[in-house]
Amino acid sequence: MTGEEGPAIEVAGLRVAFGAVEAVAGVDLSVPAGHALALLGRNGAGKSTTMRVLAGVVPPADGVVRVCGHDVRDELLTVKRLVGYCPDVGGLVPRATPWEHLQLSARLRRLTGWEPRARDLLERFELGNAAHRVTSGFSHGMSRRLSVLLAALHEPAVLLLDEPFDGVDPVGVEATMEVIDDARAGGAAVLVSTHLRDLAVQACGEVTVLRGGTGVATVPAATMAGEEGARAYRALLD
Amino acid sequence: MPIERSWTEWRGAATDLRHLLWFRARTVRRPRAAATALVVLLGLTAAAAVVPALTGRHESTLDRLDDLLPAYLLAVLALSTATAVASGGGREVLARDAAAGHPIDPFTDHLGALVLAPLSAAWLLQSWFLLGAAAYEAGPHPVRLLTADAVALAWIGCATAAGQLVGWLAEWLRRSPRGVAAVRVAGAIALITAGASGVLPDLRGLLLDGPAGRTADVLTGHAATGPAPALLLAACVLLVVAGGHAARLTARRVPRDETRLASRSYASRSPARSDLAALVRTDRASVWRSVPLRRGTYFLALAPGLVALTHPLSWSSLAVLPGLVVSGCALLFGVNAWAIDGQGLLWRETLPVPPGLALLARAKVLAELLLGAGLVTVVLGGLRAGPPSGAEATAVAVALLVVTGQALSGSLRWSLRSPYAVDLRSARATPAPPLAMVGYSSRLALVTTVTTMLLGALAIQGRADLVLAVGGVLVAWSALRLAGVWRSWRDPVARARVVTVVAA
Repeated sequence: MTGEEGPAIEVAGLRVAFGAVEAVAGVDLSVPAGHALALLGRNGAGKSTTMRVLAGVVPPADGVVRVCGHDVRDELLTVKRLVGYCPDVGGLVPRATPWEHLQLSARLRRLTGWEPRARDLLERFELGNAAHRVTSGFSHGMSRRLSVLLAALHEPAVLLLDEPFDGVDPVGVEATMEVIDDARAGGAAVLVSTHLRDLAVQACGEVTVLRGGTGVATVPAATMAGEEGARAYRALLD
Repeated sequence: MPIERSWTEWRGAATDLRHLLWFRARTVRRPRAAATALVVLLGLTAAAAVVPALTGRHESTLDRLDDLLPAYLLAVLALSTATAVASGGGREVLARDAAAGHPIDPFTDHLGALVLAPLSAAWLLQSWFLLGAAAYEAGPHPVRLLTADAVALAWIGCATAAGQLVGWLAEWLRRSPRGVAAVRVAGAIALITAGASGVLPDLRGLLLDGPAGRTADVLTGHAATGPAPALLLAACVLLVVAGGHAARLTARRVPRDETRLASRSYASRSPARSDLAALVRTDRASVWRSVPLRRGTYFLALAPGLVALTHPLSWSSLAVLPGLVVSGCALLFGVNAWAIDGQGLLWRETLPVPPGLALLARAKVLAELLLGAGLVTVVLGGLRAGPPSGAEATAVAVALLVVTGQALSGSLRWSLRSPYAVDLRSARATPAPPLAMVGYSSRLALVTTVTTMLLGALAIQGRADLVLAVGGVLVAWSALRLAGVWRSWRDPVARARVVTVVAA
């Protein structure tokens, strides 16, 4: 944690374009430390691109993007140190083992004494037996679980989870929920992008719905629960 | 199998292939450039088949060609076979994952591999040389020229189809229990036979007097053309059909290399001493744990060196070999160097490390692979080349350094400019689409061959000083281009483009 004033995640008027296609066309987000926000929306709504901007992978074309007060344009390395990111696709080097992923992350993040936590996380995500196997043979669910684990290893100030529940079994979902709860309890801001509304409601306190690259509503997660929540969500998508 | 059913299957395969090629053509990024490239390739092929016939012919050149042609025809066959075997059955029209949802028949796969085989610089160069030699032998007589070109083309077709057949059979064998060992033994026998032909005149005579010798006699005019073109064409058709059935047999077995790789474990190692060492270690693992990349590197490093070991070359000629080897190694993955991370590049890009350091690690791993392969070739070739003069030793050392720089700077530039999302798990995959690979391989082959030939010529003149001067300029030029890549890679927009394309 940095102890900076203001929200841990601050996004205002974010725009991102890939050639002629505007993937994000004015997104505003604010997540204080110790809170979790879910991003919901249809395919192509701009959820993953927003995540990638916050992770420092894609530069913003316009707007303000700050992580713990650090501008993603000007202080990219600092932002990367503060963020833990689980990408929506893959996110694993195919011919490296989980332990080698962890070693690389720990080395580049200057972590010391990280091994016990890494082993504990591997056990929680039921990857202990596969810690030294190359990831190219992993199932989709195993890859997702390892991606969440890698994002959480260094107890980041901002945890970005893009589709963390996609294809994951109940044990993996439970472990991911624990990681989110632990991060919030530790004062981290958590951003979860998912299509699974019920899990988003369970994991987060607030929900922002994106449509066509812009935010259309930010509401308490409880209002998106159950049948009534489904109708409200559907209304926001159309 | 009834002939009628078989014919229906082949017709269906040809129809499916047409659809697949149409799909590939529609997904070409720069269709106008691709069309231009195809026209240029066809133009060069036509020129190779005609122009040498119109130039003045010399008796001494004709005599040398007469001597060389049988061996050259065999070399065309050997290269086609080696390429198909090393790539696990030749190229695929659609990448495996993309093709998984479609019922693509092995016959279609086989025909696709044959259609794509010419899209490689090695295949094109050897074909152009053969067409050129045939045209030169025929001279400016339209009928003789047409006949010679037809015979040469039929031989190229036979060699390609035979290579593809052997490629499928080797892959079928490799996928059997203890298949890897069996293929290694077969490869060793082939290499020993090739090597022994250099020292055993009887064996050499046996190899050269077969179909290659008879075809060469037709091309050189020492034998009547007769039914040679028709016989070669019939052989070609038979080889294509046999290859289809070999592909079908192979498709019934699980690819061993990939299943072995997917389940392999590696013991943990002590922590890396620096950030660069950690990145280099990950990159090295990505290269050396890949069966296709490892196999390709070993093949390229050892095969030319072993040929030079059995058929000794002078040191000035040896200077040319590193260019060929280093170019070949760069084409294994270097021209799309970020693709070895696959979708993991997205995660790697979020690690808090200066972008220049990640580039440095990738460049280091690629450079050591290129330099190492070239060095192995030179050492093997040098064993029987006798003691080199000072200028020759300098030329070979400088050639190795210069071509490594050229291949490295070219590869990293192309990797930045034209990244592709490719799955390099399969030996049949290439780091870029076929036409792009032709462009890369042609440019690499041209630049490195011209450079090494120049250095070799200076060595013959005994001008070590000029070798060093030319080498210095070329290394400096590569360093400048690498600096350009360094600057571009630090641009977050350029980097994001590479990451999002490769991880797509």
